Parts: sequence; C-alpha cells; structure tokens
Amino acid sequence: MTSATRFERYFHILRDVIRAMHSITNLQEVLDIVVTKTSEALNAKGALLRILNKTTNQFEVRAAYGLGELYLSKGPVSTETLLSTLTEKDNVYIITDIWNAPRVEYPEATWDEGIRMMVDMPLAIVDPIGLIRIYFTEQRKFSNNELDFIRTVAMHCSCVIERVQAMESQQSRFIHLATQLDKLSSLGRMAAGIAHEINNPLAGILLYSSNLSKKVPPGGALEEGLKIIVKETQRCKTIIQDLLEFARDKEPQRALVNINDIMETALGIVDNEFHLRHVCLRRELTEDMEKAFLDENQIEQVFINILLNALQAVDDNGLVTVQTAVNPEQKKIYVEISDNGCGIAPDHMKKIFEPFFSTKANGTGLGLAVSYGIIENHQGDISVFSETGKGTRFIIEFPSLIDHPTGKGGE
Amino acid sequence: MKSLKVLVIDDESVICNACHLVLTEKGHMVDYCRTGKIGLLAIERGEYDVILLDMKLPDIDGMEILETIKAKMPARHVIVMTGYSTMSNAVEAMKMGAAEYLAKPFTDDELTEAVEKAFIDK
Repeated sequence: MTSATRFERYFHILRDVIRAMHSITNLQEVLDIVVTKTSEALNAKGALLRILNKTTNQFEVRAAYGLGELYLSKGPVSTETLLSTLTEKDNVYIITDIWNAPRVEYPEATWDEGIRMMVDMPLAIVDPIGLIRIYFTEQRKFSNNELDFIRTVAMHCSCVIERVQAMESQQSRFIHLATQLDKLSSLGRMAAGIAHEINNPLAGILLYSSNLSKKVPPGGALEEGLKIIVKETQRCKTIIQDLLEFARDKEPQRALVNINDIMETALGIVDNEFHLRHVCLRRELTEDMEKAFLDENQIEQVFINILLNALQAVDDNGLVTVQTAVNPEQKKIYVEISDNGCGIAPDHMKKIFEPFFSTKANGTGLGLAVSYGIIENHQGDISVFSETGKGTRFIIEFPSLIDHPTGKGGE
Repeated sequence: MKSLKVLVIDDESVICNACHLVLTEKGHMVDYCRTGKIGLLAIERGEYDVILLDMKLPDIDGMEILETIKAKMPARHVIVMTGYSTMSNAVEAMKMGAAEYLAKPFTDDELTEAVEKAFIDK
C-alpha cells in the first residue's frame, strides 16, 4: 500500500469515527466503533477500551474487538498497575516485552491469546478517564501518521466520554433534587394543616394556664408549674411558626441588591452573639461585587441561619470566616461561610437539609431546610463541605443577573 | 376601663369559655357563638363594642364575615384570631379593616390588651 493510499484510509476511518462520535448519543455504540475501526485501521488483532470507574478506582472494560472470551474474562485491572507509568496524556506507550512490562497484569493469558505487541493510548482530558489498548500478533514499527491517528481518536473519544459522564451525573443530581423537593413540598402542605389544628388546643392551654398562674399563691409549686406550662406552650407556638414559614414556600420579593450589604446586615444581627462567645468573625467581602436580584429578607434569613449554625459548631475562641466572590464569566456570585468547628458527621451529611433534622437540643431542624428552599427559589445553589473535627464550609451561589421583564425588576 | 360588650365567634368551645373567663374577670360582658351564621345574627341584634372573630369557621369563611361586618357596620371593632400565624394573614385581615390581630395561641394578657386597645384606639 502506498503512503498516499494509507493516509487516505486513515482519513476515511477517522472521519467515520468522528462522525459516529458526534451523531450517536449512545456511548456504547461510540466505544464499539472506536475499538473496531481503530483495529481495522492499524491491521491489529483487536482492541480493548477501558474506562476508569471512579467509585471502585478500577479500569473496567467497556468495549472490546477481536479478542477471545478467555482473555476478556480476566476482569478489570487496577489503577495502580496502569497508572504507574501513565504520566503524560498524549503519550502512546508501545509494549514490546509482554512478559516483563509492568503495565501488563496478565502476561500469560496475553501470550496465549497470540499477542506479541501492545499499544496503550491513555484517554484523558485533565485527569485520566480511561485507556485504549491495541493488540498486535507481531512486532512492528509505527509511522508518525499512525501515532497521530491513535492520538486523534483518543482525544475525540475522551471528549465524548467526558461529555456523557457529565450529562449522567447532572441527570442523577437533578433526579435527586426533584425527589427531595417533592418530599419537602408535600411535607410543607401537611405541616400547614397540622399547625392550625394544634394552635387551637394550644390557645386553650395558654389562656387557662396564663390566667390561672395569677390566681395561685405566689412563689409556690403551683405557680411555678403553671409558668412552665405557659413558657412551653409559647415554645410550641414558635416551632409551629417556623414550620409555617417553611411550608409557605413564598415567592421571593426581589430587588437589585448588593449581596455584601445583605451580609453586613446579617453580620450586624449576629455580631453580639459572636462577641459574647469570643468567636472571631473574619470578613473577606469582595469590593467588586455585582448586583443580583434577591429578596433581601429571605437571603438575610439564610445567612443568619448558617452563621448561627457555625457559631454553635465552634468552641470558644473559634473562627468563622465569611467570603464573597464574583465570577463575571459564569455570571455568578458566591458567598462562603466557613468555620473551624466540630464538622458534620458523614452520616448526617445527607440529612442536613431535611426538615426536622437537628443535632441541637433546642433545634427545630428547619433552619437549613428553609434556607435550602429560599436558595432554590432564587435559582441558586448551596453546597457543603465538611470534615469531622476540622470544620464546615457552606458555599452559596446565585446568578448575578437574571433576565427579567422590563419594569418588573424592582417589585 | 369602662366595661365593654364583647362577642366571641369561634367553633372551639374551650376558646370561647377561656375568653369568657379572662374578659369577664376584667369586668367586660362576654357573649359567644360557635358558627358564623349565628355570629352574624348576634352582631345585628346586639350592640357589641368588640368582636373576636376566628378566621376558620365550619360554615362561613372568617374573611367573608369580616367583609360583611365592615360593609354593614364599618365602625365595629373586629379582632381576628387564627391558627395560621403568619404575617401575610395579619396584613390581609388588617387591610380588610380588622382593628387587631391575635395569633393563636395567646395569653390572657395578650387577649385583654388587644380587646382594650381596640377600644382605646377609637
């Protein structure tokens, strides 16, 4: 075959592979085409495509061509074996010594399969995604064109895999969020009904107990008991009010505001509490903050909730840091509230935004649930990072500019 | 404080009795009824200084009763009571002409204060 016709052949195969990648939405079909066409182009015995499973940290076979069942049954290979020499993402590794190459985990099975030479091409964008291994029955040399061909296929293949993986993870995140929201809203509706039913009997208790407490001998056990009943009933009232606030799911009353100002107000409210506990409050608010459409009262409530949680989490002389930042390209603004406190236990992590989940003795378990709802209503996002014994970091993001119908912005 | 004529409209007898107890002890005269219909009849017949109105009644919606009272007797003092203790309810009731708002549960002092304040405001 002349080099011109060989070049044409690579070009045709490359075109087929790229076309498949861009037209097919099913990842498996793309991977099958990649292993088949690559093997054909290079006159190889076959090829194997492995993708790194981030949960198990193993390279799992996702597509194979031209290899026997026996060889394939060897199962996944560990990252240590493959990554030990996998340093540069654009490097093609040519393995000529099957028996002694550290990258070959099953040399005997490989030899029995009739394989005498292998070529490894890592799939990576930044971090390793996977690996294409091409198998040859005899030793041979590779032209620069051939190596370029392998690199090009790998590069396109990596992009497709990453795109599909990103889509899948987004999808599962949305499904999780949707179920979470559904759960929260049905609970909210129920709560509103229950609150009304409970407030009526509470009204009877509070009217009689507050009235009776004035008629009993002062300073006696009766007066003390009645005062406790009065106080505890009022506590129930507060809990129910929080619950109703949560259930109301109010649409935010937005205005164009600087989130730094909201944070300053929130800090002003909690400042005294921090001072009393000798907890240091460090503020690092960016001066270039962009304005955003936010409900000042609701966002202030979110900040106060998280700040008070942080205060509870730290010891005396602890440190709570508040930062704000802007990302003009993504049109997003960020608020980070971090502490060096006790952290959140890993098994509590999934529950912290659920209503009624609380680790505090007097907590209603609604603070973060309410905050979550408010942030959702603002098309924002909240994420939490925590390490037991080291501290917790809450990051809240909002769109810095929202398209809104003219004239409705300041309502 | 002059003795006031108070009408309580609430379907919960415990609340009617409790309001009766607290307010009569303060020297006021208290009648009560358990439905909106009877409540409206009582208002038309009696000269009440203050009406304590529950927002959720089995027959007529509290807001509707408030509207009727305000249409016929705009000067009548109405204090609304509700178990849905949120600010928006309060604001809505005040817009409709309620003189005062009591979020259930409330203490005897809060009740007395609301009733007597409604009259002083006059």
